[in-house]
This record gives sequence, C-alpha cells and structure tokens, in this order.
Amino acid sequence: MNEELDSQLSAMFDDELPEDQCLLLARRLSRDDALKARWRRYAVMGAAIRVERQGAGMLAVRLDTNLAARVSAVISAEPALAADAVAQGGVSKVAGMRWWQPIAGGAIAAGVAALSVLWIRAQAPIGGETLVADNAAPSAISQTVADNSAPESYVVPAAVERTPMMPSAELANYVVAHSEFSAPVNRRNMLSALVASEPLAEDEPSESEGVAPAANVVEDPRPNVEKAK
Amino acid sequence: MSADVSDLSLVRRVQRGDKGAFDALVLKYQHKVVKLVMRYVRNPAEAEDIAQEAFIKAYRALPQFRGDSAFYTWLYRIAINTAKNAVVSRDRSPIDFDLDLQNSDESYEMQGRLADKETPEALTLTDEIRTTVNEAIEALPEDLRMAIVLREIEGLSYEEIAESMGCPVGTVRSRIFRAREAIDRRLREVFEGGLGRAEELG
Repeated sequence: MNEELDSQLSAMFDDELPEDQCLLLARRLSRDDALKARWRRYAVMGAAIRVERQGAGMLAVRLDTNLAARVSAVISAEPALAADAVAQGGVSKVAGMRWWQPIAGGAIAAGVAALSVLWIRAQAPIGGETLVADNAAPSAISQTVADNSAPESYVVPAAVERTPMMPSAELANYVVAHSEFSAPVNRRNMLSALVASEPLAEDEPSESEGVAPAANVVEDPRPNVEKAK
Repeated sequence: MSADVSDLSLVRRVQRGDKGAFDALVLKYQHKVVKLVMRYVRNPAEAEDIAQEAFIKAYRALPQFRGDSAFYTWLYRIAINTAKNAVVSRDRSPIDFDLDLQNSDESYEMQGRLADKETPEALTLTDEIRTTVNEAIEALPEDLRMAIVLREIEGLSYEEIAESMGCPVGTVRSRIFRAREAIDRRLREVFEGGLGRAEELG
C-alpha cells in the first residue's frame, strides 16, 4: 500500500489532514476495503491504548467488537440517504405549507369579514340616520291652535307618525339573551342601544325640541281646556 | 486547520448516499460510544446493542445534521439519549463508575453478570489485542511512543504535540504515522491470524 496514502489516512484519523485531501480520501475510504480495515485497526489501537493507560472501567469494552458490521448490515437494507433527503425535503415542504395554512385561512376569513362590514356600511344611510322606510312626512299636519279666548298660541307637535327602526323580535331576543352572558358594561350598552332604538319616552327631551323644523305653527282650533283651567 | 473536517467530509458523503462512508464513522467511534453507553447499562453486550441503535438513529438523522457542532458531539448526544431511554424502558438503574466498587458485593455480582455475557473467545481476543498493542508501544522508540501517547491518551492536536516535543508539525505527523504502522504490523497478525477470525469489515 502507498505509504503516503497511509500517512494521509493516519492524519485524517486525527482530523489533521487538509480539507481538500480529506475530501478525496473520504471518497476512497468509503470504497477501499483494505483502507477501511486499516482505519479500523487505527481505531482499535487507540481504544487499546486508552484502556491500557486509563485503567479499569474500560476493560469490559470489546476491542474486537463487530458493532460496525451489525450497523452496516442494518443500514444496507435501508434506502440511501440521498433519497431520504429528498423525501425529507418533501416532508419539510409539506410541513412548511402546513404552518401558514391556518394563517392564510384566518387572513381570508378576516378579509371576508372586513368586506362584509364595508358592504353593510355602504348600504347604510349616510349621517347615521336610522333605516326607516321613506315615509314622506305630511307637510301640513301641524296646526296652530288658536284659542279665541286667549291670544296666546302654542305649538302642537306635528303629528308625524314616527316610524323608528324597530328591532325584530328575533334580534331583540338575541340581544337580551346575549346580554345575559356578556360583561355588565357591554350588556348595559347593548340594552341601551336596544332601548334607544325604541320610540322615545314622553318625558325625554327631543333633540328637535325648540327647533321643530318639521312643525308648523298653526292655531289650535280646539278649546284649550288646560289653559282655561 | 478547521476542526472536524475529517468527520465532516465523511458525513457529507453519507448525506449524498454513500453508505460506505458511514462504516468509516462507525469504525472510528464504536469503542467510544460503547464506553459512553456503559455508564448507563450493566454489560458490554447490552451496551453494544444500544450503541448499534444509536448509530442507526444517527444514520437516519444525518440529513438533518448541518455541521454546526462536531459530528462526535452530535453522535454523543444521540448515544446518551438512546442509553437513557433504554434504561428507562428496561427499568434498570445506571451504573456510576465513579463509585469504588472494588470491595463491594455489588461489584462481584456485576462482574459475574459481565462474565456471563462475554464469550471466552471475545474476552481472549480483546485481551490479546490489548496485550499486543501495549507490547508494540513499549517497543517503540521514545519519540514515537511519546507522540502516539500524547495523541491517543491526552488527545492533543499535532500542533500542541509539536510544541510539547519541540519539533515541527510535519515531524509529529510522521512520528504518529510510524508509530501506528509499527503497532499495526503486529495488530494485523492478531486480526488475520491468531484466533483465525477474519476482519468484520474490510
């Protein structure tokens, strides 16, 4: 055997061979049985030296072990790693696809939700008006009631038939049912909103009070009983 | 010189499908791995089984090995985990070799079990190898013996040995090689002749 080659093998065993020579020798080592047998004996002599010099505790290690042959027999029955590596790459690609799928799904769901909100807002009247059927208010409904006995006049609120948005029974039931499980603040807010959507109570001031743009001042033809009292 | 370049060159070959390169890695580290596993299990035969499992696991995991750590460090961790799992699954206690068992009954019991597991032939061959190597080392010239001992026992690099021995690195490399050649001439007789056992690999 080439002495220079053996010298390189010894240096490679000690991890002291330059990389370019290592690459070449590794290729040869994997194929050359005689070189591999020498490599094995280098390992055995190293183990024997350590056993001899380091003493007990290592004596039970078999120096003539056939472990490498057993491992080789198992591995030879398996596909080469190059094919495995491809398979692993495929697996990692699939795994790579899997991790973003929930995120993509969430993003799509969020996008659909956002579009729905935008669409609903686009359908809603501008200025926060309530969704009321287009009922034209009678223009001359209000009358100024004039009392012959009294010069004063007062304004009778326009008898406009108010048609606020009335939540459906289903929606109301839903809100109430939901409020039972929601936080108190939210519950109050939701209930308030529900109440606010109902007709104003008589004692609550109207935003239009005092302005009454839709009310026309007319004389009340009826006798003002209250005032007479 | 970059560390672990030797192992890495073999690892890269294995990763490209060269199974023969993995044989070289097993041959190089089998004794160290068995010794390591024997901290956890009671006998060499069982330690070899676990070491075999560790090597096969390492082979299968090699596509994920990127060389961020030394190959042996990576293999060491696999072997330790395999040994620990084996101990847990077999419900056996680890052996602490730091304990002085020489005078305890347990040591005799353990030695008896070890003897049962080892075949006389295996023990004889191991003894013969050890004796042959020791005799070959004793027969070496002082400079060769010191070089190989500093390398194998102390684990020094060629540069450290060169500094220690006051000679160039090239001389250290040559001395270590010549020491190995001298030992190998005698060791080959044991493997190829002696007990008539052919080499397992090669």
